[in-house]
Amino acid sequence: MSWTTKPSATTKIARRAEPYCTAAMMSRWTSELLPRYATKHAALLPILHDLQHEYRHISYQAMIEVAAFLSIKPADVMDTVTFYEEFSTEPLGKCVIGICQSIACEVCGHKKLQDHVSARLGIKPHETTADGKFTLLALECLGSCDTAPVALFNETLHENLTIANIDALIDEAAKGGGGH
Amino acid sequence: MPVTEPILTKRIPTFPWGDPKNRKTISVDEYIATGGYQSLEKALSMTPAEVMAMVKDANLRGRGGAGFPCGLKWTFLPPPDGGRRYLCVNCDEAEPGTFKDRLLCDYDPHLILEGIAIACHACQLDTAYFFIRGEYHHQAKVVERAIQEAYAKGIFGKQGLLRGKSPFAVDCYLHRGAGAYICGEETGLLEAIEGRRGWPRLKPPFPAVKGLFGRPTIVNNVETLAAVCPIIEHGVAWWKSLGCESTVGGAPSYGPKLMGVSGHVTRPGVYEADLGITLRTLVETHCLGMRHGKRFKGAIAGGVSMGVLGADQYDCRMDFDIGRLGDVMGLGTACPTVFDEDTDMVAVARNIARFFKNESCGQCTPCREGSGWILKLITRIERGDATTKDLDLLLEIAGSMGLTPGTTICGLADGNNWAIRTLVNKYRSEFEARVKPYAVSMSGLQLAVARV
Ligand SMILES: Cc1cc2nc3c(=O)[nH]c(=O)nc-3n(C[C@H](O)[C@H](O)[C@H](O)COP(=O)(O)O)c2cc1C
Ligand code: SF4
Ligand code: FES
Repeated sequence: MSWTTKPSATTKIARRAEPYCTAAMMSRWTSELLPRYATKHAALLPILHDLQHEYRHISYQAMIEVAAFLSIKPADVMDTVTFYEEFSTEPLGKCVIGICQSIACEVCGHKKLQDHVSARLGIKPHETTADGKFTLLALECLGSCDTAPVALFNETLHENLTIANIDALIDEAAKGGGGH
Repeated sequence: MPVTEPILTKRIPTFPWGDPKNRKTISVDEYIATGGYQSLEKALSMTPAEVMAMVKDANLRGRGGAGFPCGLKWTFLPPPDGGRRYLCVNCDEAEPGTFKDRLLCDYDPHLILEGIAIACHACQLDTAYFFIRGEYHHQAKVVERAIQEAYAKGIFGKQGLLRGKSPFAVDCYLHRGAGAYICGEETGLLEAIEGRRGWPRLKPPFPAVKGLFGRPTIVNNVETLAAVCPIIEHGVAWWKSLGCESTVGGAPSYGPKLMGVSGHVTRPGVYEADLGITLRTLVETHCLGMRHGKRFKGAIAGGVSMGVLGADQYDCRMDFDIGRLGDVMGLGTACPTVFDEDTDMVAVARNIARFFKNESCGQCTPCREGSGWILKLITRIERGDATTKDLDLLLEIAGSMGLTPGTTICGLADGNNWAIRTLVNKYRSEFEARVKPYAVSMSGLQLAVARV
């Protein structure tokens, strides 16, 4: 659980001319999401998933736009964004590698995988490569303990990993510009 | 009585009845062709009160960790007042070692949806949210598709349940979490659906009275809801013939249970077994024994929160008595992670301590600060830098946090408490071997004496 804070007094919020919440997104949210919930606030998680998926992060400007869309305070949006591990205020790499570090994966050899990926990419867990291609994450149990060790490459789970097959996955991701 | 045929895994090939390599997602048509949605049909021919009474009589105990009787929980709902009432399906499944609900989502999602429809009829709940953890990307897609299929077949939707067979209409929506174990706690889950950080709420009021959006709400685990279908189909007597009675005067453990075994066994996986099966049978028969013929050293009882079963507890029975008989918190999710003789139990403790420190939501001081100190102390022990005094301090901190000592809002801290205490107590010599004896320096002692 992260406890992200920002120095509010000095932070300059980066702005860009075009909005993060596009007209197409907002019309989909209005027709599909809002009717599902008793409050507008409750549509926040699915909206944040859309933005994280689209932009690989949720910028301060995006938070302000979402707040306006849902008629809630930007602080409420930030509160939620910074609580959940899947939302990031900084851009993540094109390929996010999340290696499970929980108990079944640890006793089945996750450490050498993590060390290997870390050395190969030259980054520690929770860092992104300078070219923006890869982010390495150390995640807790991914619910696939019988096929430990496991890792998520973006949205795809890979099971029974060895150094050889995780290398192959990284090669493939590097070729395809990281996407999956 | 042992389970002699697959029940929850009827359509999911599982050893010893089928081979997992033949598994595939069951579509709504295949589901209906193999008897699906007939339990719902039967339930709709009964009054809501009759269905509720059946689930209560069957003594179906919650499969999400706490083992609370499902039918009893349902009776806590106030009578309908015309306003909204909710069902929240708990598919957060983030407890390390646990991967049983995923099996149902992956391969037989309609079994869960049928259970949802029956529960909504029994409890008169008009809106169901299927809360699924964010990391289950594939499962979210499978469940979303199944929900759409169920709407198309008229299970859910405005016309009323099962193509209007009951005028009572139910809507069902998928809601994805975003990476926070605490959202599996039932009130943390409600906050996550409301779009806020997953901070558990103080209870009472309980969700049945004041839950989602302040309205009456039932929170049930995926497997609990799936189990409602065979109970309605085959009846209470049949259900009670499976599983076992309590041997310590507690509540019984009826029915089959999905048990996911991981760690150092030859064939890890999810098995469907009767409650009361011994851990030894589960490992030796279902999982084909310990990996590489190694010796059994211990096992997490059912998710790390429950604590550990020691080397001498291999014959322990996997049922709801386990808390009283096995010196662990409880059965939990009945998903054991098994350790062989080469496992470093101090490293196991460090791994679990890190999990709880990462996942504490930070609301309660004993949990937020305690989890950090426990990790610090165990890391120090693992490095060989600690003294015997640190070991005592570790036990003291662990024992002071949780709902049972009454110092926190939710049970996450109890999980930390039980995991660490049982590991230190059951493998004490391993921890002691890593710490230095505590010695007071002579000058320190003289100073202390001088002060007296
Ligand atoms: C920290 C914590 C995490 C939990 N995680 C889950 C979970 O992932 N899935 C689940 O079904 N129940 C979980 N529970 C239990 C729920 O609070 C709740 O008891 C359960 O969903 C009720 O369903 P049941 O009665 O059908 O088992 C958790 C409880 C705590 C204290
Ligand atoms: S016990 Fe821990 S996880 Fe639960 S509410 Fe308190 S701080 Fe949060
Ligand atoms: S411990 Fe790694 S998937 Fe469960």
